[in-house]
Amino acid sequence: MRNSPFTGPAGLGAFRRELRDWLDEHDLSPAGDDGGLDGQVGQLARVRRALWAAGWMRYGWPAEVGGLGGPSALRAVLGEEVAARDLAEPGIWSMVEVLVPTLIDYAPPALAAELVPRLLGGEEQWCQGFSEPGSGSDLASLSTRAVPSADGEGWRVSGQKVWTSLAQYAARCVLLARTGSPGHAGISAFLVDMDSPGITVRPLRTMHGVDEFAEVFLDDVHVPAPRLLGAPGDGWRLAMDLLPHERSTCFWHRIAHLYSRLDRLLADGCEADPDALGAAWLDLHTIRCRSAATQARLAGGGRLGPETSVDKILLAGAEQRLFDTARDLLPGTVELSPHAGWRTGYLYSRAATIYGGTAEIQRNIVARRLLDLGKE
Amino acid sequence: MDPAERTLLADALRKTLVSGAGLADLGWPDMLAEEPETVVPLLFRLLGETGRHTPALNDVLLHAAGLPLTGTPALPFGGARLVWLRDGSSYDSPLDPELPLRHARGDEPSVPLAAGRRALGWWLLGTGHAMLALARRHVLDREQFGRPLASFQALRHRLAETYVALEGAEAALTAATDDTGSLLAKAAAGRAALTAARHCQQALGGIGFTAEHELHRHVRRALVLDALLGSARELTREAGVLLVREGRTPRLVDL
Repeated sequence: MRNSPFTGPAGLGAFRRELRDWLDEHDLSPAGDDGGLDGQVGQLARVRRALWAAGWMRYGWPAEVGGLGGPSALRAVLGEEVAARDLAEPGIWSMVEVLVPTLIDYAPPALAAELVPRLLGGEEQWCQGFSEPGSGSDLASLSTRAVPSADGEGWRVSGQKVWTSLAQYAARCVLLARTGSPGHAGISAFLVDMDSPGITVRPLRTMHGVDEFAEVFLDDVHVPAPRLLGAPGDGWRLAMDLLPHERSTCFWHRIAHLYSRLDRLLADGCEADPDALGAAWLDLHTIRCRSAATQARLAGGGRLGPETSVDKILLAGAEQRLFDTARDLLPGTVELSPHAGWRTGYLYSRAATIYGGTAEIQRNIVARRLLDLGKE
Repeated sequence: MDPAERTLLADALRKTLVSGAGLADLGWPDMLAEEPETVVPLLFRLLGETGRHTPALNDVLLHAAGLPLTGTPALPFGGARLVWLRDGSSYDSPLDPELPLRHARGDEPSVPLAAGRRALGWWLLGTGHAMLALARRHVLDREQFGRPLASFQALRHRLAETYVALEGAEAALTAATDDTGSLLAKAAAGRAALTAARHCQQALGGIGFTAEHELHRHVRRALVLDALLGSARELTREAGVLLVREGRTPRLVDL
């Protein structure tokens, strides 16, 4: 294991080659049946522990949180290799890509240094409490409240969150709550310990059969003062700052996963319909080109903004077309197969135009911010 | 070429195209020989944006084939073979009668198509942007029910859809280097231009269906350029045939 970051123009290629060699020698594939969500989360932790110990998981992260430095594209390459080899479920693999930058940018440095290695090293899972039953697309209307506690030692938080991925496994939660007036400016962010008294987690049953999301109920939960992320009122900015991370490395991981599904479709002996297969590939190729350009811009010091809604729309469309194609060209598999793979993937793809900002919200952003069409 | 030089060149090209002067005055053969990856996207995108045309596709194909820049290579078009006349008045495309396309005689050279597909992709991208600009202006200016058309979400989303398709095509064109990448890029560009034609035609309503509005010229051009050297449908099918043959999806771009 080398200890210098893979920097410079040749760095990514060298990283990819050395990583592939290492993964060829160290088989981290899941053992047989994945055992449902418990199995997936266990496998995720196992892969992270191994990659952290060997150093691969540390590249692309700064030394302050236990990293070995280098560009964030190293994390994109690592996630691509993990997805290509089906080592971990890609959605939960990518969660650190938004959680860790948030901690680095907003947490007191000592807190980030103490806790982030536990997440990256596979010791803990964390979750993100943003959406609420009454606040989906209109996130800024959220009503979970945080008020200063009577003793002045912190905050008391009450409210309800929903669509909180992995809450039932999580040790911590990056939580948005209202500390001030209605609207964006009254929102603050906290890092909450999930074993705090007053927190109840109820996993949601979803249509794809994986209870990955949960409702989180907060009843007068005490949050110590140092767990405020940023200053009071910084919550909305923190949430918006996540987007560049979600829409660079996370998207690249997802794209890699979808390529591996198209390969699987070909390997599964699908009907050889060149029109449908070509169209599925064309969509994947298009978002892959777009995402590579977006990440090149980020690596060159550019700031990502509303133009990443284009990436989001292309990715969601590519995902749904791919699984529609799979259902068409493997007739009966989604409906009848005893193996859940294509069924789960197909059903989960229905959410691609809903999570992370709906297709409609993205088109509103394109119309308003990129086409400058004025207000609705 | 740095960004400032590129802007200067784009301005010069635009002026030349709009004035109707020939590209030869700008030193086109030298530019093509020296920096094809810069000047081809610039010129062809501008052709689309301005609605003008030149026979430069011949030069792009001949240059890529290592042949002298004279004559007219054969251009596959559906099941037919066409040529793009360098001058003359024999026009065999009644849909877009401005373009000097003629059925090939049969003695024209066949050349590799990838560079031509990239060039036409940039042209289609420019044509798509021309249509989007017309539709955008119209929905901002025209009022119905006492408010601008641009305030109606149904139309905003059509134009957003158009923009997304064009941006995706541009990414594919920018990344295209080899044969397969060029094939996919032209498929993406053809599809984006047809998407633009459909949505912008709808946004422009009745006026966009008249011959006095310029939209129809871009719609006609998009249809003809899409079919030239392989339509989006044909190229997508070709990509699918390649996938079935390979049994694995090529990753054509990397970080």
